[in-house]
Amino acid sequence: MASRTVAKDIITLRGSAAIVSEFFGYAANSILYNRGVYPEESFAKVKKYGLPMLLTQDEENEIVGKEWLEAGKLQRVVMVIMSKATKEVLERWNFSIETDSDVVEKGVSREKSDREIMREIQAIMRQIASSITYLPCLDEPCVFDVLAYTDTDVPVPFTWIESDPKLIANPQMVKLHSFDTKIHKVDTLVSYKNDEWDEQ
Amino acid sequence: MKAQRGDSLNRIGTLQDDSTTVPPITDFRYHSSFSSSIKKQPASAFFFIPCVQAYRQKLIENLSLDSQGRPFKIMVFRGSPKSSRKSIRFVDELRQEVAAIFEKDCKQTPYRCIPKGEKRVLDAPRLRNDYYSNIMSWGMNNMLAVALGHELYLWNSEDQAVHKLLQVRGGNDWPTSVTWSEDARTLAVGYMCSNLQLWDVESSKLIRSLQGHSGRIASTAWNGHILTSGSRDKSIINHDVRAANSLASCIKRHADEVCGLKWSTEGNRLASGGNENLLYIWEASKMSSSKFLHRLSDHCAAVKALAWCPYQNNVLASGGGLSDGCIKIWNTEKGICINNIETKAQICGLEWNRHHKEILSGHGYSIRENQNKLCLWRYPSMTKVGELGNHKSRIINLCQSPDGITVISAGADETLRFWDVFGPPTAGAGNSMVSDLQGLLSFRTSLLR
Repeated sequence: MASRTVAKDIITLRGSAAIVSEFFGYAANSILYNRGVYPEESFAKVKKYGLPMLLTQDEENEIVGKEWLEAGKLQRVVMVIMSKATKEVLERWNFSIETDSDVVEKGVSREKSDREIMREIQAIMRQIASSITYLPCLDEPCVFDVLAYTDTDVPVPFTWIESDPKLIANPQMVKLHSFDTKIHKVDTLVSYKNDEWDEQ
Repeated sequence: MKAQRGDSLNRIGTLQDDSTTVPPITDFRYHSSFSSSIKKQPASAFFFIPCVQAYRQKLIENLSLDSQGRPFKIMVFRGSPKSSRKSIRFVDELRQEVAAIFEKDCKQTPYRCIPKGEKRVLDAPRLRNDYYSNIMSWGMNNMLAVALGHELYLWNSEDQAVHKLLQVRGGNDWPTSVTWSEDARTLAVGYMCSNLQLWDVESSKLIRSLQGHSGRIASTAWNGHILTSGSRDKSIINHDVRAANSLASCIKRHADEVCGLKWSTEGNRLASGGNENLLYIWEASKMSSSKFLHRLSDHCAAVKALAWCPYQNNVLASGGGLSDGCIKIWNTEKGICINNIETKAQICGLEWNRHHKEILSGHGYSIRENQNKLCLWRYPSMTKVGELGNHKSRIINLCQSPDGITVISAGADETLRFWDVFGPPTAGAGNSMVSDLQGLLSFRTSLLR
């Protein structure tokens, strides 16, 4: 049986960390835009992942340092959206990361088609954008926080401080697609506060 | 709780550890049921420990162990010092800026003396009851120019002398707009029949007649040697009064009568309000191209009252007519409304207080509150400081004295009432006000006959 040979690219630990870190930047911006945390005017369109992506103008878009990813010490990144007035957590965008420890320890590289990874990320971005169809409306001004779950031996850099998980009580959860660079696997999950209307 | 937890498990199929908040450790009844539902999960076998203390210890550990049993800690991103995390909307930012500035400067005067009555009342017979006209102007020369019917009078605030400047013959024409130039050497008078005249008051002579409009001129504003006029013909004309051919630019943007016109204090921006409820902001340098800077459509009625903030660049206050009744504060740099007060009454005039951070609004018709009153609002909080007014019918115009202490309200009850409402809060001023209140409401100085 003739098998389609997909050209595979070499993915190094560093390369994978860069892909994942970049993904977080764009995903975070997409969430901020789609959920209306920042006003629309503060975003500019750029082309990425074969989609028109939106980035805020003057925020630094690299939220998560690549060092953690390269050391395999980053377990997850969570974007928490809270009500500005009450500081109640309304939404939690959870990105869990599984790192291939072999790669971290032995420095080997993996193979996977870049296009394939892009396609997987594209699918997630599309899902984030379409999440507004089922997520409850955020009609009050909101603020957001970025949480990082790391191994306990990671020193806290000065741009971060220790925090509580900022959980939602009785949330609804929706699992989105994941993507895998063969070195880092990122799962996406959004949990949100139950809309009062949904009570059965 | 238990049922909920089961639900979440079924929904996703794998345990997500932060799906519920964990109640206090002392609630053992909860925890025993909690642990039994965890039976399904292989990784949490450590729950089945008989000893309470060890159990408690494991529970604490569990809070920082993820589903793989790996310990973790949580950090939240604070951002580097230079990139301030803008997790608020622009409007809130602007409001915070404004509030921060004034929280520092503003001397909190808890007791603000507002005069109970007018300092003076002048008879104003035949004052036209027309919302759109702007028939009153107080010049730097301390002369008040006011149009009453077909006649225009000058009242000297220093010696209370009255002088009739002009009278229009014929029944169909009368002054609809009166404005002193900034140096008070020239008086601009706009008419019902679309004529615009410049008068030299020293000699009581007509200097020039400016053409250009085809409808009544209800609003005029000076910016140095530029005289801007707004008309019922929906256009705004800028005249350069020094040039032989005065017409500098003509802007046709409004869809109805231009009833409000005000140049900013620096002279770089013009605000124009129309009867179609629109407010336009123009830049002085771009007026010949008819390109507006902002087009603001928040009002639901004619925008006649306009006033630029004297202590903050590019902040404008606008007031709406009867169906609107809102005072809106704008950041004209960004074209955003930073504050909105519903006064529930027609607004005919707005005057900023230069001595306190306040703004005064003059009102006409209302179905509910503030009818025929003057309301004083603290800025930027926009809380109501108080209200004044004894007008028997609606207020048509407001203007303030050159020293910024007195405000005059012209009413449809054919009176001009003087209010020393803007003055400094010292006890001295309060006392003199009290002594003035002797001859209160019945005090009428019939000067205009």
